[in-house]
Amino acid sequence: MAEALVLDGVAIEDTFAEAFGMRATRLVVTAASPTWARHAAQTFTGFATSVIACGCEAAIERELQPGETPDGRPGVSILLFALSAKDLQKQLDRRTGQCILTCPTTAAYGGIAADAAKEWLGLGRSLRYFGDGWQIAKRIAGRRYWRVPVMDGEFLCEDTVATIKAIGGGNFLIVARDQSAALAAAERAVAAIEPLWNVILPFPGGVVRSGSKVGSKYRVLPASTNDAYCPTLVGLVPTKLPPGAGAVLELVIDGLDADSIALAMAEGIRAACRDGTRRGVLAITAGNYGGKLGPHHFHLHRILGALP
Amino acid sequence: MTGLTFELRSVPPGIVDGSVLQPAALAGKSRAEIERLPLAAWNETLVVADLFALKGRDAQHVTIHGACDRFERLGAGLDGGTLTVVGGVGRYAGEGMRRGTLIIDGPAASHVGAGMRGGLIDVTGDAGDFAGSARPGAMAGMAGGTLRIRGDAGDRAGDRMRRGTLIVEGAVGGWCVSRMIAGTALVLGAVGPHPGHQMRRGTLLLDAPGCELLPTFNPNGRHDLLAIRLLLDSLAAHGPGVADYGRRAIGGLDRWLGDLAAGGQGEIFVARS
Repeated sequence: MAEALVLDGVAIEDTFAEAFGMRATRLVVTAASPTWARHAAQTFTGFATSVIACGCEAAIERELQPGETPDGRPGVSILLFALSAKDLQKQLDRRTGQCILTCPTTAAYGGIAADAAKEWLGLGRSLRYFGDGWQIAKRIAGRRYWRVPVMDGEFLCEDTVATIKAIGGGNFLIVARDQSAALAAAERAVAAIEPLWNVILPFPGGVVRSGSKVGSKYRVLPASTNDAYCPTLVGLVPTKLPPGAGAVLELVIDGLDADSIALAMAEGIRAACRDGTRRGVLAITAGNYGGKLGPHHFHLHRILGALP
Repeated sequence: MTGLTFELRSVPPGIVDGSVLQPAALAGKSRAEIERLPLAAWNETLVVADLFALKGRDAQHVTIHGACDRFERLGAGLDGGTLTVVGGVGRYAGEGMRRGTLIIDGPAASHVGAGMRGGLIDVTGDAGDFAGSARPGAMAGMAGGTLRIRGDAGDRAGDRMRRGTLIVEGAVGGWCVSRMIAGTALVLGAVGPHPGHQMRRGTLLLDAPGCELLPTFNPNGRHDLLAIRLLLDSLAAHGPGVADYGRRAIGGLDRWLGDLAAGGQGEIFVARS
């Protein structure tokens, strides 16, 4: 491993996370109770871990109090990322139509400020046709909404939502003595990142165990297991694991801007390293492709040094 | 810089087109140039100095003191800034305005806000017939903005209204929002006969329990719709009467659908007492 900074006894490798440009939007989903808002959001963000096979990456950003939502009801904000505005539109249509429109009492609003908009995507503009001609457009406080009659009353959603340029693929890897130490450190990192705005952790529970490298011996696969970090392959392949490492877990972070990702990485790394020596955390590193693929580079030493 | 003020010196002998007395037409002009601006009257052309004494400089904030119903089209086509008229105004005040604020501190004659597309008109007194309606011969009435009338409004308020918001804090005459195409109208006082006559779409909110609706409106039950809550929340800043209506709407309003003679996709909400 390259020269390391040490945080709470844990070596921080002098490397960087390599991230890619994406398009993103924020959707605010409200419902009669937090439970129903959560049902809608969890369904919407299901099977949205990686653009490689899911078409998008999405997760719950925050749960919202009634005072934080447009209609004064409890809600959830969701961030949705895709590689292009066209892909984002496709996912937005499908997921809103099948997961939010269908969920009792819900309503859907755009969560990106109009002045930040790079482009606008249709929301109610497509879903309204479900109303079979009985849908009603209504302009309220300068924004256009659609009211679609459904069996529990009306489904209300905005006509359009704003999309902005965003970044996907911020990451760091936690190298630990064994699986339980890695998992505990990853859980600490997730808990530290979850309260932050503008970022999501799209993988299950916010953690990835199947970090990947580009390409495969099998031609059909665009990515395959990151063998250099697999403890069961030590001795068979060139490894990047330090002596004594028994498990590695990765956190992948998508964010609306570079500063938010850097902050999330720094908070997550600090939490993972807390009392790390005693808890079996050995090192923190990051995934990159040599800097040739993604334009956004998050250097671990820089972000930990720059942020208090 | 103080706002530009026009003080009426003498009441014109007949009707005067006052549409030139607004920010866009006055901006960048010297006082002398403004005084020479022509005012088209019934059978002659006057100039501003014939009728008004001028004070102040800021043409973005224009005030007319002493206006009366002989001044027509005040604020017509307003495209920004603020025009305040103290006293009554004649017909077509704010006709076709696009942006800005027109405050009429007094009564307005007919067709106030006819065909307006944006901005705010605030009438502190009563308004005549056809408030927020279509201009004669036009296919659509107001198509944006907010027209607020704190007094009563005459017949055919919101006739052919297409977009925007009409708020009447007093009573309205007959045929309120007749032939409405879309948009929102809220009436806090009594309502005359046949509200919503021939309305195609749009929303009329009434605070007149027991008011008589046309037989071409069907009862739809009592509903507490999220869209209506959001709508009333957004209007609450227009005054305590509107805010109170919004509070009373929580829990539901009686909803009627019609006019079935014109498609039936309009809705009239009536608050219970």
